[in-house]
Amino acid sequence: MTRGILLTVILISLLMLTPAAAVASPVGVTVAPDRSDVSTVLGGRFTLKTEVTNTGSVPTGVLLAHLNVASVQGDIYVDPEDWSPARSQEFSLQPGDSRMLSWEIQAVNSGKFAAYVVVLPFGEEVAGTEELVVSPLVKLDVAPRSTVSAGLALPVVVLIPLALGATAAVTLIRARRRT
Amino acid sequence: MTTVVKSRDLRAPRNALDRPAGRSGWLVVAGQEVQDLWKSGRGPLLLFCFSVLLSAVTYLASTNQALNFLERREAVNLLLQFAVAVGVLVTLIVSADGISGERERGTLESLLVTPVSRRGIIAGKLIAALSLWLAAFLVSVPYVWVLARAVGILSKALILGLVVGTIVAIGMASIGLLISAVCNSNKTSLAASAFLLLILFAPTQLPSGLPQGWFFDVLQLANPVASALSYLTTQLVQGAHWTEDLVYLVSPVITVVLAGGALILFGPGIVRLRAGGDAG
Amino acid sequence: MSERLMANSTVEAVNLTKRYGTRTAVDDVSFTTRPGDIVGLLGPNGAGKTTTIRLLTTVLTPTSGQFWIAGHPWTSPDEIRRRVGVLPESGGYPGFQTGQEYLHYHALLYGFTGAKATGIADSLLAEVGLDDRAGSRISGYSRGMRQRLGIARALVNNPAVVFFDEPNLGLDPAGQSQVLEIIRRVAHGRGATVILSTHMLSEVEEVCSRVIILNEGSLVASGTVGDVMRTAEVERAAQLRVPTNLIERARRALSEVPDLVIERTDGRPDVVRISLRTSAGVAADETSERLNAAIVAVAAANVPVLSYEMEGARLTDAFLQMTRRAAS
Repeated sequence: MTRGILLTVILISLLMLTPAAAVASPVGVTVAPDRSDVSTVLGGRFTLKTEVTNTGSVPTGVLLAHLNVASVQGDIYVDPEDWSPARSQEFSLQPGDSRMLSWEIQAVNSGKFAAYVVVLPFGEEVAGTEELVVSPLVKLDVAPRSTVSAGLALPVVVLIPLALGATAAVTLIRARRRT
Repeated sequence: MTTVVKSRDLRAPRNALDRPAGRSGWLVVAGQEVQDLWKSGRGPLLLFCFSVLLSAVTYLASTNQALNFLERREAVNLLLQFAVAVGVLVTLIVSADGISGERERGTLESLLVTPVSRRGIIAGKLIAALSLWLAAFLVSVPYVWVLARAVGILSKALILGLVVGTIVAIGMASIGLLISAVCNSNKTSLAASAFLLLILFAPTQLPSGLPQGWFFDVLQLANPVASALSYLTTQLVQGAHWTEDLVYLVSPVITVVLAGGALILFGPGIVRLRAGGDAG
Repeated sequence: MSERLMANSTVEAVNLTKRYGTRTAVDDVSFTTRPGDIVGLLGPNGAGKTTTIRLLTTVLTPTSGQFWIAGHPWTSPDEIRRRVGVLPESGGYPGFQTGQEYLHYHALLYGFTGAKATGIADSLLAEVGLDDRAGSRISGYSRGMRQRLGIARALVNNPAVVFFDEPNLGLDPAGQSQVLEIIRRVAHGRGATVILSTHMLSEVEEVCSRVIILNEGSLVASGTVGDVMRTAEVERAAQLRVPTNLIERARRALSEVPDLVIERTDGRPDVVRISLRTSAGVAADETSERLNAAIVAVAAANVPVLSYEMEGARLTDAFLQMTRRAAS
């Protein structure tokens, strides 16, 4: 019997220590992103999806899911609004229901970043003591890309005024010749 | 005693005029105005000056290594704002010359005695003025391509620039024609139009740190030029979806409706030999 | 209810009036014209000539009154515009267009197709003598060339009625002569009615079959040149110049002619002025005959008549008489 109890405790401990794809919360909401990492280049666009599930037995009330992006390198200023213009989504869930939320993201800085979604109660009835539910981090690896296009710019900035100037000159000369 | 007048054309038609086979009057006016604008050299010269300005902005933005991704997006927005502002300016100047210029040059009377309706004359001149905006936009396309492709907003920049710029251009050209129709002096018409555009464009250049409030917000939204440029900014710099912030397009669209409507309704009454009625 | 039918008239104006506030520019003007008429529209500056033309060409709207052009009433301005041609007094031209382009454009405005418009432009330029300058910009045209171009433009739609407002303004005598010749061809060759507003009364006498005289907006005379002169009742007189040593013999001979008033002329001892007594009751068309009898009498007295000049025989005299009378 002692061995059985010990095994049960060990099993429960192992279960508690095992990283899970979803995080359980006291209010019964789980937040699960559809992937754990994204590799892209500077300026690249991608969609991040997170599934929010009400695992509790009561309706959730109004919830707010909010996307955040942070640099994990420390020396890069990140304004999450530059990455995604619509970072907050409101919804509510009945017991057992799930909602798939989508976030359109454009990588506007290069480097290593982490994106995560925080779910929190929303509305006037919020007491302020409720716990947040945070998704696992989604690693963002944004490779640098040259956006300098000097080689492309030079022909355009030179040839177009030249062409238009020549056209203007020819037109004016022809107009004068008709006198 | 009531007199009933029976009208009878006593002359046998010696020409094709009773059943004209040619183009509609407004199309003829538009065609000639466009030709005059471009063949005289005025249009090409304006476009040349415009392209020099765009070249300077594009070159500086594209070769500046210090600009990050977001700042390059802002550069695209800046370029497009230049294109819209200058394109609308030249369109407004041409339309402001439309009626008052003909009065001063003495060519309006010979136009008024033709069978082309007053509305047809207005429509033709409006189209000719808008040709400048479209040409200015076409000239800006390669510049926008150079800057926007690198930051992934090329198609959005071009489509929005064309749509928003055209709405503003139609509104301002209509206003320019209205001003021109009610001014006897071409100088007055041009000055009033340029001053109006300056008033509308000036708020877009104010520093962002100025006090804000509902009054300034309402002013901003009511200003068709500032409002349209704000819409472009939210789309290109902030990356909003095109359906968001459509409230910024309300005043440009209302300007088109009101000014265009005024031209249609009052055009026959204001396109006269002298402004202010049959002053002879 | 009476039915009004258009007579064979190209222009019919009935009680045409135009007021600007308290100022009346055209006051109750009525007249009629026929095909082929060349009508001189005369009057001092500010008489209302240009306003009348602008009313009839629908550029201005009458305050009251009615008019018909080629059978079309004033309420159909589009139809009227198709049938009139106008050379405005102070018309301008787009300097950077060529003469050909300018006429081509106006032909298109009147509804002609492109090919037809080109043909019309070419033929009109030839008609007014500008075919060798068809491809030149109008800014390089002389004043006379611009007037001829304007006449050509007025004829683009082969109008029933053509209005020329001061067509000879600023032209040299050769240019004036050319323009008058074109005007004659327009009326007689095309059968159009020409309404010619001008200050040059000599032109009117030369080409016009009828005249309308306006003064301060009102019509003071209308009819043929002869009719107007008769109506004017201008004093008819003549000046005879004879050899100075025979002047007294000439006076004695003239004193034998009944109802003749003989006057000396200051500073001209060889000239005697004669006129008919106002009480003579001589009809206006007999005046010339009676005055000519004076020449016969002088010649019968063996006095050579070196020159003989009629006074009051010109439209200018009638015009001045009528406008002065109306003003007073």
